[in-house]
Amino acid sequence: MNNLDVKLQEIKKRGKIGIMTHVVIGYPSLKDTEKLVISMANFGVDIVELQIPFSDPLADGPTIMKACEESLRQGTKVADALVIANKLAGKVFIPLLFMCYYNTIFKYGIEKFIRDAKNVGVSGLIVPDIPLDEEPYEHFIAICKKYEIHGIRVISPATTGERLEKNSKIASGFVYFTSRQGSTGASLKLNPKLSENLGRIKKIIKIPVAVGFGISKKEHIQQLQGYADIVVVGSKIIDIIDSSARDKMLKNVENFILKIKI
Amino acid sequence: MKSHFGQYGGMYVPEMLIPALQRLAGEYEKARKDKAFLKEFEDLLKNYVGRPSPLIFAKNLTKKLNGAKIYLKNEGANLSGAHKINHCIGQALIAKRLGKTRLIAETGAGQHGVATATVAAKFGFSCTIYMGEVDMDRQRPNVFLMEQLGAKVVPVLHGSRTLKDAVNAAIKDYLENSENTHYLLGSILGPHPFPTMNRDFQSIVGKEIRKQLKTTEKRLPDYVIACVGGGSNAIGAFYTFLKEKSVNLIGVEAGGKGLEVGKHASRFKGGTVGVIEGYKSYFLQDSDGQMQKTHSISAGLDYPGIGPELALLHDKGRIEFISATDSEAVSALKLLAKTEGIICALESAHAVAHAIKLAPKLSKEKIIVVNLSGRGDKDIFILAKAFKDKNFYEFIKREAEEGVIAYE
Ligand SMILES: Cc1ncc(COP(=O)(O)O)c(C=O)c1O
Repeated sequence: MNNLDVKLQEIKKRGKIGIMTHVVIGYPSLKDTEKLVISMANFGVDIVELQIPFSDPLADGPTIMKACEESLRQGTKVADALVIANKLAGKVFIPLLFMCYYNTIFKYGIEKFIRDAKNVGVSGLIVPDIPLDEEPYEHFIAICKKYEIHGIRVISPATTGERLEKNSKIASGFVYFTSRQGSTGASLKLNPKLSENLGRIKKIIKIPVAVGFGISKKEHIQQLQGYADIVVVGSKIIDIIDSSARDKMLKNVENFILKIKI
Repeated sequence: MKSHFGQYGGMYVPEMLIPALQRLAGEYEKARKDKAFLKEFEDLLKNYVGRPSPLIFAKNLTKKLNGAKIYLKNEGANLSGAHKINHCIGQALIAKRLGKTRLIAETGAGQHGVATATVAAKFGFSCTIYMGEVDMDRQRPNVFLMEQLGAKVVPVLHGSRTLKDAVNAAIKDYLENSENTHYLLGSILGPHPFPTMNRDFQSIVGKEIRKQLKTTEKRLPDYVIACVGGGSNAIGAFYTFLKEKSVNLIGVEAGGKGLEVGKHASRFKGGTVGVIEGYKSYFLQDSDGQMQKTHSISAGLDYPGIGPELALLHDKGRIEFISATDSEAVSALKLLAKTEGIICALESAHAVAHAIKLAPKLSKEKIIVVNLSGRGDKDIFILAKAFKDKNFYEFIKREAEEGVIAYE
């Protein structure tokens, strides 16, 4: 059992939806990333997703894309991601996940990356562009299992029943369900078919389901209570960072977290 | 239909796209065995595109270089001015079979965008083309043409604002709209089935070369040379000859301004294996796997990745890859224009540049075929700049002033 398993049990027991937030490592700076994650943990976030910036983030919308670009412009390296995860794992008790694109892992060395991530205290990996069909070539899921790190599956409204079954067989920790087709980014309204879709998914996926993409306010989270186990708030927090004066940034993010918690 | 070429290729995309890509692969699998489909494809290539494109004996250039005989396969003679129309016709027919109503595409030089806009107009699709802002500036004539053909051209403002970023933007659109939209990807790259599908649609080029040369020379070529951006025109010319070891196949990458990072797009010189934009291949990337900046005078070759099938053929040693610099390409373009009366695309001029180097070293019995992937009309602005053409700029100035008066 790793940190994430403990947290998932706790969320289940308390019967209230869990909150996962997201940061882009090195945005607006490495120091800020550290402060942001500590604040998130202090203000009751359950899980934090640390995104390793990538030059070509094909599942991300403009907000996260720009954050990645800016972080890379400042020179953020994959090695920095491991260092900061290591530091944070010593400072917060909540589980930390890496979100990254497959090339980051591939280039670093698949096994080496997974082992190093595990060693710095990361509990799981969210990698949107490694579908299960490539497993015979990459052995990514198998190596995650070997190092007892959760390889989180990402599925969408377009995922067919057959593929849901396939994914459910190898799913680990929780399953990340994108509320809509498209890329990341805060939206005003949730997909009207969301609860219907979640009903379909929950029939097949027996582990917790997290819902992300477009979650930006308390009403969204209230809407999802009872349907999903975890909500993921990503781009909205970067929007808050972007619209805050630097000295108000932390406070504004903390206030937002207080405001959306149910 | 295989989804990988050795270790390369694959379908490295979010789960969200897999159903759409599998449907596409399934439909293509059916179509490629469907006689009616193949007949319609061939008929359109003949009676709409204007195929076969001519194989021209470059008599004057051959004489000047005093070596191997040079033939030019002129894809610039096609409707819309390049080889890109071949895979656009094919994919438009597939999109119709899938019941799609909208086409999207990325474009670098704008040739693939123009070809996509052309088939969208012809077959009644709505059409959106993603183009890096840098490329919109350097290939402005093609932006104008796409718009006249009814396409919406969306400038891509992120990253390096060139072809790779346009691919990214198109993938995002496809993620969101795959239900009614077909992503008409413009080279032999991206996730399966695009590399295979586009290769098949382009392979007509090599088949025609074989037939045409058989008529004039009664034999196979000794060398086939093509420029390589993503690789669609190269694989098109090479594919039929892969099994014939006597035919040397040479791919010419963009040498840009030299081999420092950011100054070229020679993936096989500076690149390493990675997984980006849905496929595994060689990419110009740093040790963290971040894609590097590239440069080429030709927008169509200015891309950090390369088709996965070419990666495999490179490793096997079946295709030799070399590069030509910006200035070699410009000189080659000039020489070809003056000797043969053909103004080719700057992309294609890279292939010509290598032929100019190679021909004098070979005996007069040898035959080189150069694939001229496109015509050069789109490049007049870049060339005018390269040639510091004062009269051209004075003309542009007058035109601009008159134009401004007209719309004000
Ligand atoms: C005329 C021409 N040649 C070559 C290319 C390079 O693409 P590919 O390598 O796929 O043929 C392009 C791409 O835009 C082009 O327009």
